[in-house]
Order: sequence, then structure tokens, then C-alpha cells
Amino acid sequence: MNKITRRAMLASTTGLIAAPRLARAQAVKPRLTVISQWSAGSDGAAITALGKKFEEKGGTWQHSPVPGFTTEMMNKLRAQIMAGDPPACSQLKGPEIAAWSKIAATVNLDALVAAAGYEKVVAPDLARLHKPGGKWISLPLQIYSTNMLFLSKRAMDKAKADRIPVTWAEFNALAENMKAGGVTYPIANGGTRPDDGQKFEAALAGISPAAYRAAMMTLDEKALKGPEVKAAFAQARRIADWMDPNTAAQHYSVNLPRFVAGDMGMMIQGGWAQGVLLNAGFKLDDFIIAPGPCDNGKPVFLLNADAFIFWQRKEPDLQAGQTLMAQLVMDPAIQTMYSQITGSIPVRTDVDLSGAGWSDGQRRTAAALKEAVAANQAVLSLAHNMAQENGMTAAIIDVLTEYVKNKAMTPDQGVARLSNAVEGAR
Amino acid sequence: MPAAARTDRRRPAVAAVRRLPEFLTIWVPLLLSAGHLISFALWTIWVSFTPSTLVPVSGWVGLRNYTAMVATRNWQIAFDNLLVFGSGFVLLSVLMGLLLAILLDQRIRGENVFRSIFLYPLAVSFVVTGTVWSWLLNPGIGIQKLVNGLGWTSFRFDWLIDREMAIWTIVIAAIWQSSGFAMALFLAGLRSVDPDLIKAAQIDGAGPIRMYRRVILPTLWPITVTVVVIQLQFAITTFDLVRALTGGGPGTATQLPALVVYDFMFQRGLLARGAAAAVLMLLILLAVLLPYAAWRYLQRRQSAHA
Amino acid sequence: MRETTFTPNRLLVYLAVLLLAAAYLVPLLVVVLNSLRTSEEIAQTSMIGWPKQWAWGNYVIAWGDFCIAQTCAGIRPYMLNSALVTLPATLISTLLGSVAGYAVSLWRFRGDRWIYGVVALGIFLPQQMRLLPWTVVLRDLNLTNTLTGLVMIHTIQGLSFTTLFCRNYYVAIPQELIRAARIDGAGFYRVFWRIVLPLSPPILIVTVIWQFTHIWNEFLYGVTFTTGQQQPVTAALIALSASVADIPQHGVQSAAVMIAALPTLLVYLFGGRYFVRGLTAGAVK
Repeated sequence: MNKITRRAMLASTTGLIAAPRLARAQAVKPRLTVISQWSAGSDGAAITALGKKFEEKGGTWQHSPVPGFTTEMMNKLRAQIMAGDPPACSQLKGPEIAAWSKIAATVNLDALVAAAGYEKVVAPDLARLHKPGGKWISLPLQIYSTNMLFLSKRAMDKAKADRIPVTWAEFNALAENMKAGGVTYPIANGGTRPDDGQKFEAALAGISPAAYRAAMMTLDEKALKGPEVKAAFAQARRIADWMDPNTAAQHYSVNLPRFVAGDMGMMIQGGWAQGVLLNAGFKLDDFIIAPGPCDNGKPVFLLNADAFIFWQRKEPDLQAGQTLMAQLVMDPAIQTMYSQITGSIPVRTDVDLSGAGWSDGQRRTAAALKEAVAANQAVLSLAHNMAQENGMTAAIIDVLTEYVKNKAMTPDQGVARLSNAVEGAR
Repeated sequence: MPAAARTDRRRPAVAAVRRLPEFLTIWVPLLLSAGHLISFALWTIWVSFTPSTLVPVSGWVGLRNYTAMVATRNWQIAFDNLLVFGSGFVLLSVLMGLLLAILLDQRIRGENVFRSIFLYPLAVSFVVTGTVWSWLLNPGIGIQKLVNGLGWTSFRFDWLIDREMAIWTIVIAAIWQSSGFAMALFLAGLRSVDPDLIKAAQIDGAGPIRMYRRVILPTLWPITVTVVVIQLQFAITTFDLVRALTGGGPGTATQLPALVVYDFMFQRGLLARGAAAAVLMLLILLAVLLPYAAWRYLQRRQSAHA
Repeated sequence: MRETTFTPNRLLVYLAVLLLAAAYLVPLLVVVLNSLRTSEEIAQTSMIGWPKQWAWGNYVIAWGDFCIAQTCAGIRPYMLNSALVTLPATLISTLLGSVAGYAVSLWRFRGDRWIYGVVALGIFLPQQMRLLPWTVVLRDLNLTNTLTGLVMIHTIQGLSFTTLFCRNYYVAIPQELIRAARIDGAGFYRVFWRIVLPLSPPILIVTVIWQFTHIWNEFLYGVTFTTGQQQPVTAALIALSASVADIPQHGVQSAAVMIAALPTLLVYLFGGRYFVRGLTAGAVK
């Protein structure tokens, strides 16, 4: 049954070679125990749909969503691992994959990945995260960009602007024009920790992707104290000054009404904000999506990718379930379905987004990813735990969020605190 | 019954067996409780000396986790905040509880209704409390906006976004949540003041204020101690409320030790550091409780000798 | 019964009480109003506001319809789970606490002061220090991901508060009563059953109310030590919070919060008077 259904799936997508049939026949009914934090909203809907596909293939899907945010999910995973009963598959991402793989045994997916030809279609920086120690142990499922630029149509009208800013200089000019045109607060971002991190990383990556790589991904001391980081702090200060001070630590979604009405001008947010705007009842006409500003003219893409990690289990039905799940996750049709539900873009760079289920924002994001990869400007997001392990990320965001909220802190102080924090957390 | 007692005295083995159920009933729950408390505390202390990150592992790193923790800005801010928040909250919630109790003690009509109104916040979960107060105290949508809308446009109540004052927003929400308990205790105390003392004071011509000061409030002293202990426990271990209200922000301005412990242990995957912070938290607690215990001990000795 | 012959200006008293009561009610009002607004309206206007249209449907969705991943049964099954954990844990910990409180304050035995001290100090041990050790204990007892495990955790942890409350109440019972009964040959159980227990209802009610509220509203252990369909209602509430890619479902969430808070609110509504009475009778020290 597995063979027939796979051929049917592959036949329905364009331009793909049929993957070679796996040697092992499925004698056992596949079963999968899954832990994730995706219990509600479009994330919940997407993973439920994935589960349905799993069951259509004859498997038993046992998904335990852990309500709350990532910490609660990790606590549950930790408790299961300590109890000697890890789930067959769990949500995890970024460098945490490498960290967690050291505390419990994982499954070597190299054969499955090779069979699907997956590695060729995954961005190299991303692939690296999922092969700590050289072997594939987890599979990325969907990609978001964290530095998309959202522009309010009405605010653009007020500023009499018709060009989308490409560099930070143009961005700043547009913000000033918006203010002059009566937009009370040119920036509609929120004040949560990841949001504050996003502001800084977008600034730094836009100023110099190379500096971003060195400072945030490699934690090179010189880069951390370099002029680009200082300039990023300065840019972040400008962004913070253009925000409504009453936003405090709130989620950006509280600003959406004013953003759409033209009272607030721009947002630097992840691509998921499109889904949020539409779910809140706003229309695609109300806003424009563009890649975040980058000073060298080519788009820089800050990657945030969710993935599933596979934990070693002895039971044959769970092992069969893991094989089936891996195949599903790598399948372009499944990635298409998943991304269309959540508003992300597929990991596979060879998926055609011209179909009806995709939005312009997604197409633009995918195009930006392609260009960025080609220009070697696809980097890993710090604010969303892709560039560093959680401990280091949190230490850095401590500095960033204080900097954003404390107007008295100068960029020099920011630089000093940042390198101290990084040293302390090493 | 007396016959059985005489038999028991003659045969100690039988007596011991007879008393076994009683022995178990007394000791098993107490040992389970004390045992788990002590072993969990010891376990945390052990972890704080290991290099544990995601899961507990063995190893010895000396005081490294402690020095690293004390050097962290988060901890320093949290420690300062605990002093401010702890003393502010305990003092204000005692006063508020006392005020509410005195008001309710005036035999007003509808006392039951008012008492329920002041008590119900205890029934609400901390997460809900923190969330709702984060809306109310937000200057853009809450109280400030309301008052401004009513015409008083220069009114400002933006403590929530003020790095200096944000800690007091937690005090406000915490008082709302828990002053009902203080009120209940004080009300109970007020109602159990010896009526003869009051009559005597009235005969002496004492007005209401002197009555409270000289007779009633001193009687409330033991209850005040209980209220302080329970509120102190709340102040030190409060976690869900702060997380929901400010998330430790703005920036890191309202960090508290309980948040730092959770953050380091679970969010940052730095178990040993978090454990060190937890032990530090317990040490702070001891610093407050030991003097009290010593004082009580001296008191008992005094009253025993008196 | 005291005479209120020394009251300050009664008008002032009523004014103060009314103002304070209004202030205390505001948060509840906000949640109730939000539970009757649609999530879109909240998202499009503000967290605090009067409903433009009355979204009674929020309660229907909250009770039986909203989805947590693949299960679309609303909050109903989770309420049951919470009840299955809270009721046994409350009753058992209260019972054990009263026996323990009686044992250390009235029956007395060697070392009672010390062990009581440790047990009472336990109220200060923070949750975070207990999470991982309980993981190990549950694993060794094979109770991971069971409601039984959760009941056990809450019962043992609850002993600190219940013993504290009961012991402080029992110290007011005169020792002569106990001594006399023991001379008459009454044993441990008889004294408890015949003398102590009949005097206990006030403090038992206080303890039950306290334990019920704390266990019902507890989140951390409920999420970590249960899975899927067995989670308590606190977990279900969080599931309605913002996920990254979605607008928070504030309307339905507020309705769910009201439904989930109903048991504890009712407990305080009906038990409130006994709460004070229990503390009055006990003069908790």
C-alpha cells in the first residue's frame, strides 16, 4: 500500500523523479507518538491535517499537543526523556536540536533523506542545523522569515510615498515622511522579547549580513564590538523611538487596528503576521509585504524554521511510524499543504508557488529566500532561537529588550553589555 | 477498655503491634511530606553543584554556578526587586486587609455580599489575574485611557511601562488577589476580641480611634504574624502572576527570583544555574525566617519562665 | 456580640466599602464583558470595552466546540479531568492534614515539633524545585502521564498547608479534654473521632476551600505530567492563547476562563462565610 500511494503522490506533483522504493516492506502498522506545542490556531490545524495524512497512509497518529509556548513543550519532552519514554517524534528547532541530541538517542535519517533527495533542496545553513554530528536526525518542515516589512497602505498614502524602501536609509526617510504626514507612530511592532530581538537582528542583518553572521551566528568577539553592531543598535533606537510607548511588553497584534487604519505605518515582522492580519478580519488590500531593508540592495533573509526530531525507539510499529513521518515531511505535496495552512513557505526550494493556494506575500517571501540563498544572505534568526542555543539567545535578548525599553541606554552601552552578556553565557 | 489497657502493660510486644496502625497513621503522611521536601531540596542543592544543562548530570563544578548567577544582571535586578516587592506587598496587603476587615466589622448592611466581593479574587487563577491587570494597567487601553476619556486628560497612570514603577503594578495586582485572605483573618480576629476589654475601655471613655489602638490592634498581633507569613510565601514564590502581568519586563525591570529560577532552569536549558538561583532564593528565605524563629523560641522560653 | 457604639461616620464607611468593592469587581467585569464580545471585535478595537454585539456563542464554543489540535470537544473533557484530580487530592490531603495536625498538636509524640517544622516550612519550597524530582519519582513509580500521579503529587504537596492550618486550629483545643479521654482509655483514633473531629468543621472548610482553589488553578504540573486528553482545564485555557501565527481568540478564551473559574468562584461564594467563621473559631496563630 505504501508503494502505491507514494507513486500516486509523486505523480501529482510536477517535475520530480520518482524516489527509489525502500527495501524494507511495511509489515507492521505504523504508529507515531508526537509532542508539539501546536495545539491551536493555524499551527494546530496544520499538524492535525498532517496527522490525517498519516492516518490515510494506514498509520496511527498519537499527537499530544502541549499548550503554552515552547518552554512547556520542552519541559514535557524533558520529563518524557527522563522517564525513559521519549516520543517517537517531537517538535524542535535550531541549535537546540544539537543540544538535545546529546541527551537521548536519535534516529539516523541519512538513508531516508538520500532516498528523497532532500538535501539538495534545503538551504545549506538550514541543513547544517539538522545534521549535528554529520548525520540527519531531524527534518525541517516550514520556513518563516522574521524580517518581512509590512507597510500600511493608508499610512503610505499619508506620507505620499509610492516606493517600497529597500535600504535602511530609505526606511528611515519613509518613517520621517509618515510622521510628517500625520502617522502618529510610524512603527507598529510589539514589545515582547522575540519582537525586540527581531528589531535588532533585522537592523544588523540589513546593515551587513556578513557582520550578522560573524556576530550573531559565530559569536566572533571582534564582530560583536564592531561598527556594524553599533550601527544596528543605533537603528534599533530609531525604530524604538518611532513606536507607541504604551505598547510596553504587549504582543504586536494589539497594534493591528491602528496599523490598518493608517495611524501606525510599518511593521518588521515575521511572515506569519499576514495570517494574523487576515484572521483578525483585515484585508490583503490593507497592507503591502516586502522583504526587510538591506543596505546592499539584495534581500537578506532571516530564517526561522520548525522541524521534527526523531528519537530512537525499540518498538517496530513506532519505527515504521517514524519512517512514514519522515517521508511525509519531506514530501513536496505535504509541505505545500502545511505551508498553505500556516502561511509559511515550504523548506524545499523546488516547490512551485504559482498555484491558487498561495498568497502574494508567500510568493514574495519564497522569492526573497531564493535570492538570498543565491547571494549567500540567508542567515539564521537569533530572536527565534535559530542562531544560538536558548541560553545564549536569552542572554542576548536580555540586553536587546532592555536597550529597546530604556531610552537612556546609548548604542555604545548596548555594545558593551552585549559582549559582556555573550561572554557570561559562553 | 480498662481491662485491655492492663493487658497491654503486661505484654509490650502486643502493645507495640496494637499501636502500629496509629504509628503508621501519624508517621507515614508526615514522613512523606517531610521526606519529599527535604529530598527535593537536597536534590536541587546537588544539581546546583553539577554542570547540568538540559537534564541533570553528575559532576562537580564547585561554586561556579553560584558565582555566575550572582554576576548575572537578571539575578541582581531580581534580588533588588524582591526586597522592594516583598516588603511593599506584605506591608500594603496587611494594611489593606486590616482596612477591609475594619470596614466590614462595622455591622454594615449587605456584609455578606461585600465579604464575597473581597474574597472572590482568591478563587481566580494567577494567570488570569496577571492577564486582566495587564490590560487594566496599560495606559493605552486601561485606567489611564478611561480617565483621560472622562475629561481629565493630564492624568497619567503608566506605571506598567515605566521601568522604575513597573514593580508596583505587580504589587497592585497581588494585593487585589490576596488581600481578601488577610481581610478574612483580620475579620476573624476582630470578631474574637474579648468583649470585656472593650467594655472596660468604653467605661474609661476611650473614643473609637483609641479603642482600636489600645485594645483591638494589639489583640490582632498573632494574626498579623500569620498573615505576614502567608503573604511572604506568596511574595517569594509568586511566578504565574508576574509572568502573565509583565513577563519580567519592561525589558528586565520586573524580574523576580522565582522567574529567574524558572527561566534559567527550563527556558534556557541551564538547570544547574537555575538550581543555584533556587538555592539562593531559599537562603534569602532563611535569612528572613531564622530571626523570626529565634524570636519565637525566645518568646516561648520567656513565657515558660514567667 | 459586640455593640458598634464607636463607629466612625457611617456614611464614610459605606462610601469606602462601595468604592473598594467596585474596584475589586472591575477585573471580573472586564473578563465577563470580553467573554461576550467576538474575538474579531476585541482584535479590532481594544481589550477593554463594551460588547458591540452580544456573542453568547462564545460560551457554547468554549464549552463544547473549540479545538485543541485534533480534538474539538471544547473545555468540557478538561473540566472533568480537573475534577478527577482536584476532588480526591483536596479531600485526602485535608483528611491527612487534620490527622497530622491533631497528632502534632494534641496527641503529641517525640520529635513532633521538629517534623511539624519541616512540614510547615514546606509551603515555601518553590514549584520549580519540585518539577524535575517529581519526574523521577513518577517514573520510578510508573505513574508518568496518569491522573493518579497528579493526585499523588498534589496530595503530598498539600500536606504542608493542610497540616499548618489544622495544627494552628487544634492548639486552641484544651489539652485537658484529650488527657481526660486518654485516661479513660481512649486511643488515638477514638480521641480523634469523638473529640477532635466534631470540633473541626470550621477549619476543615477553610482547608478544603484553600486546597480546592490551589489545585484547581494549578498549571505547571498539570501540563508537564499529563498528556493529551487527560490534561486539566488550566492547560486547555492556555491552548487558547496566542500561537505565533494567530490572533489570540480572546472572546472564546474569556468565556472559557469564566467557565473554568466557576467551580472556585462558587466555592468561595458559598463557603465564604464559613471561611471567616472557621478562622474566627480558630484564631489562627
